[in-house]
Amino acid sequence: MAKTYDYLFKLLLIGDSGVGKTCVLFRFSEDAFNTTFISTIGIDFKIRTIDLDGKKIKLQIWDTAGQERFRTITTAYYRGAMGIMLVYDITNEKSFENIKNWIRNIEENASADVEKMLLGNKCELEDKRQVSKERGEQLAIEYGIKFIETSAKNSIRVEDAFFTLARDIKAKMEKKL
Amino acid sequence: MGDSLNDCIEIFTQDGVLLKQAQASYMSYINSIGTLYISESLNSSQKKFIEWKPNDITVDSDIQDQEWAVVNTIQKRTRTLSGNFPPDYQNRVRCIMISLDEVKSFRVANKYRHLTFYDGKSEALCSFVFQHGNCEGLIKGVLGTILKTSVSKRDKHLYIVYDANTLEIQQLDRSFAELNLQSEGSAFWKMVKNIKEHPYEATFEAFAKVTDYVYRSPEQREIDARECEDLNRSISEYENTTTTTHSQGDYEVIAKVPELPPRKDFPRLRPMTVEQWRGHLNFDGRIEDVDSIKTLVFRGGITPSLRKEVWKFLLDYYPWTSTETERQKLVKAKSDEYFMMKLQWKSMTKVQEDNFSDYRDRKSLIEKDVNRTDRTLDFYAGDNNTNLQMLNDILMTYIMYNFDLGYVQGMSDLLSPILQLIGDEVDSFWCFVGFMNRVIRNFDIDQAGMKEQLSNLHTLLAFVNPELATYLDTHDSGNMFFCFRWLLVWFKRELTQEDVMRFWEVLWTGYPCENFHLLVCVAILESEKDNIIKNEYGFTEILKHINDLNGNLDIAQMLNKAEGIYYQIKEADHLTDDIRMLLGLPLLGNQNSYGSHEQSPFEDSAELSNGTQPCCSVENVRISPDEGAYERALVASFL
Repeated sequence: MAKTYDYLFKLLLIGDSGVGKTCVLFRFSEDAFNTTFISTIGIDFKIRTIDLDGKKIKLQIWDTAGQERFRTITTAYYRGAMGIMLVYDITNEKSFENIKNWIRNIEENASADVEKMLLGNKCELEDKRQVSKERGEQLAIEYGIKFIETSAKNSIRVEDAFFTLARDIKAKMEKKL
Repeated sequence: MGDSLNDCIEIFTQDGVLLKQAQASYMSYINSIGTLYISESLNSSQKKFIEWKPNDITVDSDIQDQEWAVVNTIQKRTRTLSGNFPPDYQNRVRCIMISLDEVKSFRVANKYRHLTFYDGKSEALCSFVFQHGNCEGLIKGVLGTILKTSVSKRDKHLYIVYDANTLEIQQLDRSFAELNLQSEGSAFWKMVKNIKEHPYEATFEAFAKVTDYVYRSPEQREIDARECEDLNRSISEYENTTTTTHSQGDYEVIAKVPELPPRKDFPRLRPMTVEQWRGHLNFDGRIEDVDSIKTLVFRGGITPSLRKEVWKFLLDYYPWTSTETERQKLVKAKSDEYFMMKLQWKSMTKVQEDNFSDYRDRKSLIEKDVNRTDRTLDFYAGDNNTNLQMLNDILMTYIMYNFDLGYVQGMSDLLSPILQLIGDEVDSFWCFVGFMNRVIRNFDIDQAGMKEQLSNLHTLLAFVNPELATYLDTHDSGNMFFCFRWLLVWFKRELTQEDVMRFWEVLWTGYPCENFHLLVCVAILESEKDNIIKNEYGFTEILKHINDLNGNLDIAQMLNKAEGIYYQIKEADHLTDDIRMLLGLPLLGNQNSYGSHEQSPFEDSAELSNGTQPCCSVENVRISPDEGAYERALVASFL
């Protein structure tokens, strides 16, 4: 069977429970937003193939349960991930503070050269904001990774985020070849 | 590696390596993730070591210096030390360190993801699982150049290490494979001289060499065909006596797959009716024959209008032996207890909450999950729904009831059908407590309970359907993680609310055996076997396929099949104690009771039921009293 894509990238969404990982993924893979949310149990993934500079790239995006207790199971799936979206909720300070723990978790369990990106989700909820955009930017600079504020609900910059991550992985890969 | 760098260089480093097996002193690190190193000592010995260090422990450099000091002073290590440190150090040593000299063989499994080192005495020194990447590079690139190894002919996953530097092997090489009295006379005469001078020692040493020769390196030497055959025979005889099937799925030696007896059909019956239920209550509201009630529920579930009452018994809120009056008293007491616990969190002040982060974390998790639990159902739909408030309050009160467990995702899923059915806050709480008591290990902090169940599921699957189990093992799925959601919330996410109620009430009976839910998983996996194998699904496709089964499962079929599988297992000739233990069947141990005819409860039941034989009579198998009761009730229910 002929391959319908040139590259397959495995991506991972991680972050605290309830920051909107599944919604971000749903927005990107189905271009929709479901108001009846459901918490993720275990792990699942969705696929979307995108065009990038004339190449067909199949993105396999893994969605994980956020609660710390499930990390022993979910980290098993970090293996082989090429890109990781670290998601926090701009209306939830704690989820932002925990990003550093998630980064440590990645360092321990994912391969060293995995591309990372920081996502501040729910940016449509400006009146409930607890984490300023500047703090997000600052944290991203500290870790040397890119940063985008998104809204899965209002479809703001979700496409951007995944395309940017995919582009960076592609560039890194082609440099290696 | 900090200070140790002065003494050692790292030849190889791999992070994300889980310690699966190690000597007892490292017990607390088992299943922790850490970094694996191969390092070389820079002093004259140039000894090489396997080291492993857990991630979240920072090794105090002083201690580490001492570790290294100890290692360095042991130039000539004796067998008794065997690479371990003196007991005094064991508590302080935070890093596993084994000299490569100790390694006599190593075995890979799971597509190079699982690596075990052996010391040549059939003991595993340590065993690692590579969480990302694999150990192929380590073996081919690193160990292959440091050690003289070759793949065992009998087991292509086993690498045998030739210790080219030890005198022992050099002697062995000369004295055995290339024994040539003319040119290598000296070795032979030395041995003869040794036997003269120290007869016992020399003889035992010679035997020991033969043992090493047989078990460690059978392929490298040139031996004549007859000798070779003899050796192989002795090896295979040795293996036959030690053949075990073990549940890790990393390696199995099975000569012939024994077959299970044919599967019987256990059609589902109609739900227990109100009349049947009432018929079992005596004048003061006590249930006369609990087993027969449980059997009715197991066989067909409960008619919806009756559920609310029977669930309170099934979930251990009402004792089965209670009278109506006793239950009324109980409800009063339990209601008081509930509201007392509810008041504990309700009355918490803002300051208290601000100073109590564990409580705050639990509260915020509950809030998030309550807002996304079954919101598509009318019962939980819309804003300001009082049922959501109750869901929240019960979970919050459960925190006060069991603060150590707190709230874990999945618990709101378990409560939702109960609250929807029972409606009352207090009764729902106590029923939820009963359910939680059964599945509490699903929510272990280290997930040990879930891992254990996944491993048990693999064991059962390997017994019932070895082909599928082997397929999963060879496709990165032997850990059964893809069944995680099924087990965590008892198929709540796969079934409709109506079906999940039916499914749970059947499982709550505890019939026909322990861990029946795992047999349900086996039944579903078996149904999906052709899809999985024919489509050559790999790791990701298997997970996707299993996740996508939600909404397409027929519970009557699942239960019917699982029960069929139960009796197949129970009646299998090759049933092992491992499996018996999992299903709560009596163990046979080493006694010769297998096959001996003991007093079977069936004989009682046959009398009770006027000689009618149960549909699933089993000869020559011991049956526990509980099980006997179940069988008895089964017979009664068919009458």
